[in-house]
Amino acid sequence: MLEDLIVNGAMLGALYALLALGFTLIYGVAKILNLSHGAFYMLGAYLFYAFATMAQLEPFLALILAIILVGFIGAIIYRLFVSPIIESEVIVMVVTLGAALILQYLVMMLFAKGGAIEHTPLPRLLSGGLYFIGVWMPLPKILAFAVSFSLLAMLWIFISKSKTGGAMRAMAQDREAAMLMGINTERLCMLTMALSATLAALAGVLIPTSMYTDAKPDMWMEPLIISFAVVILGGLGSIKGSLVGAFIIAYAEQFVLLFLVGGESLSGTASLAVMVLVLLLRPKGLFGKRVEME
Amino acid sequence: MPLLEVEKLTKRFGGLTAVNNVSFDVDEGEIVGLIGPNGAGKTTLFNLITGFLEPDSGTVKFKGEDITKLEPHQIVNKGIARTFQVVRPFRHLPAIANIIVSCVSPRGARKLEWLKSPARKALDMLELVGLSEMMFEPAENLAHGDLKRLEMAKALATEPDLLLLDEPFSGLNPIETDYLTKSIQRLHLDGYTMVIVEHKLHELMKLVRRVVVLHYGEKIAEGSPKEVSQDKKVIEVYMGRGI
Amino acid sequence: MVTRYLRRFYTSFATYILDIPPRLLALLLFLLALSVPLLLAGNVKGGDYYLRIFILANVNALFAASWDILVGRAGQISLGHALFFGIGAYSSAIFATSFGLPPWITLALSVPFGVLVAFLVGFPSMRVRGPYLALVSLAFPLILIRLSWLESPINIKAVMGGDFGVQGIPKLISNGYTPLQVRIFEYYFSLLLLCVGSIVLYKIARSKTGIVFVSILDDELASKASGINTTKYKLLAFAISAFFASLAGGFYAHFMTGADLSTLLFGGPSKGLIVPGSFTVVIMTIFGGIGTIYGPIVGAYILSLLPLLLYKIIDVLSSLANLGLSIADIWNWTFLIYIVSVVGFVVAWQKGIAAYVVEKLDELTETEEIRKDRRKGKKGKKGKKRI
Repeated sequence: MLEDLIVNGAMLGALYALLALGFTLIYGVAKILNLSHGAFYMLGAYLFYAFATMAQLEPFLALILAIILVGFIGAIIYRLFVSPIIESEVIVMVVTLGAALILQYLVMMLFAKGGAIEHTPLPRLLSGGLYFIGVWMPLPKILAFAVSFSLLAMLWIFISKSKTGGAMRAMAQDREAAMLMGINTERLCMLTMALSATLAALAGVLIPTSMYTDAKPDMWMEPLIISFAVVILGGLGSIKGSLVGAFIIAYAEQFVLLFLVGGESLSGTASLAVMVLVLLLRPKGLFGKRVEME
Repeated sequence: MPLLEVEKLTKRFGGLTAVNNVSFDVDEGEIVGLIGPNGAGKTTLFNLITGFLEPDSGTVKFKGEDITKLEPHQIVNKGIARTFQVVRPFRHLPAIANIIVSCVSPRGARKLEWLKSPARKALDMLELVGLSEMMFEPAENLAHGDLKRLEMAKALATEPDLLLLDEPFSGLNPIETDYLTKSIQRLHLDGYTMVIVEHKLHELMKLVRRVVVLHYGEKIAEGSPKEVSQDKKVIEVYMGRGI
Repeated sequence: MVTRYLRRFYTSFATYILDIPPRLLALLLFLLALSVPLLLAGNVKGGDYYLRIFILANVNALFAASWDILVGRAGQISLGHALFFGIGAYSSAIFATSFGLPPWITLALSVPFGVLVAFLVGFPSMRVRGPYLALVSLAFPLILIRLSWLESPINIKAVMGGDFGVQGIPKLISNGYTPLQVRIFEYYFSLLLLCVGSIVLYKIARSKTGIVFVSILDDELASKASGINTTKYKLLAFAISAFFASLAGGFYAHFMTGADLSTLLFGGPSKGLIVPGSFTVVIMTIFGGIGTIYGPIVGAYILSLLPLLLYKIIDVLSSLANLGLSIADIWNWTFLIYIVSVVGFVVAWQKGIAAYVVEKLDELTETEEIRKDRRKGKKGKKGKKRI
């Protein structure tokens, strides 16, 4: 059983990290709480379905197309909706929330004819699996893990070594100084948003396909809450924090699922419980910025 | 007994020691100047005294009572008020409401005579600093000089015994500077004790009898303006070596 | 003549947060609201449905006003306000079913539990600020929902009724009245709650306490430097907000004859009605104008009534253009246009619709001189920029 926990937790952790990373990135760079982050997740799933099942494209091609398109949509949403009102945090929340709802209704109208909440099965990417230290791992899960892990590694290198990554870090630290240094903050925010949306969309394909769950128009709420939990635990704006937080929460969920009596119904509680614990014990998260003085 | 006793106050931020073992006293009715190059730790010292920061070691005593660990609002209600280097008005509130806030605090409300309302007292304070015209103007519309005066009124409305002024002369034109100098002198005559951080040494030296000099968080000199301006270490610090 | 009379209600000293709403306009709207059932009673076919929309509008408005005093005035962002609403609803429901108390008592009992919970969640919430508070506050009602399924060690599920909720509680008045009469009563009572609640909240917002709230919103550290125990005031804001939110929830329970988990969720459209919830209250308040107290009320009303209006328009348009859309399709289009309009409006005019109307009215009543100044680029006296 312990092996199950370790292996499954690791896989889930990588996926959660992929999901939450976008959220923390856009907060770090643009200082916004993007409530439509979960909607990009949902869009990724539905566009993948559209390209793979409806348009009958090669699954991997469909995947690439879907996430690029979502990235595009993310950048547009930023430009049209967020950029004009970026000074007010509360209004940004309303606007991104509105964007999420708009996307939900669009999806409902385009994909879920008839019922309000209809399940849309996603195509299997691979079938079969293999054993690893006594744990059965379906290939989709292995693939998901491999993809997310490599992507996380690439992102880490991108953000720490590349010029754009450096610009992002600069903006996260001090937006005005970054502007004075000649960084085009508007364009960088759009780029970060596109990246963030792309990551969310990728998670939106990898997670449901590896967990064999269907797509629903209101599936944007759970990933959003998981992202919240991860960044609260890890500290808003901290990439290291999101990585660590994602794995902790993934393991917490797996733990509840595997070891607690009646765990199946409670597994979603792990992220919420973590949030409360963090609130009570260490409000700024593990790696969050220290309380500002003046 | 001195009004304020700062004893061996130390504050570290990671590897940087912002305030290092600083001690000094302030007697009732004094005006003391606190000077030093930028980054010397003067504002940090103010933050430590007023409870916005907690020291790593050392104590602050006010009227004999240890206030080191108290919350900022508690310290205000003991009788220490401060102004900020960069003014911090309540942007959305009109000028008078900015002061009403101070008048609602326990200490600020104390001195209300029987029929006076906080609004009435706030109005009096505005008159005191010459801002009655701007009474209903939202704070975010006020000019810098007016904001400085508003800041002063807010502090005075809490009925302090000790006033900590952080660069009150910064950004003021000559007329406003003159007005402020006269105001501080008047406050002094009214019995307020003050500690003033200031870079405009010319103005400061006119007002204070005693000066404390900080450099890299340490107190390097203390004495009358004349003594301090002739102190070798102080000259070195402000002017560099080789003079 | 008339303009000068109107102008008396617009003095130049208030900021856009302390703006005095046109008393005349408010009175007119109130009279209009009073006459709603009379206007609808003739249209018996849809009358009950329309009345339900208006009743919900009142509930949403009171709920939104309660959110505004916490977020728009004291600056404590709450994305989980349904917690208080749901607690109010459940308290009323549980007391009605388990203890058989009469409806007026159970309505009153919805409030103390809301306030109690406000302190319970308020204390730990003091330690977080801004975005962290927003994220964490979202979790609170969701946690309660999870707890409601718990059967051991404490059998909460039995008390809260799980997914089904607590049903079958009596209406506020029942014996010997026709359903339509009950509806009309519910409308007037919800209107009464709204009026009383909004007047109280408005007075608090303009009182010394309200001023302190805004000081905390603007600069909490500076507020502390003025001697204010900000923790005390923040908790007070939570308590006041929860008071009215749970009152709204208690009424809602009696209106729906029960309380279920939807009272703790995000809210949203359901058969053309806008159900109160954590997200709807945010959208309604910001659309209406955050920080003004009357803004959220206006916003809530408009956003509660708008879906039906849009539906009618689209219905007519689609039959004119022979598009052959089903009812479900029309509703989907309705809500799509609804959300797009709301978001578009908020992006274009962040101060909210109430401020928009007020400013346009202002322009109507301004003197020639000020009009010329405004056109030149909004410079007031002494060359200072006017807001």
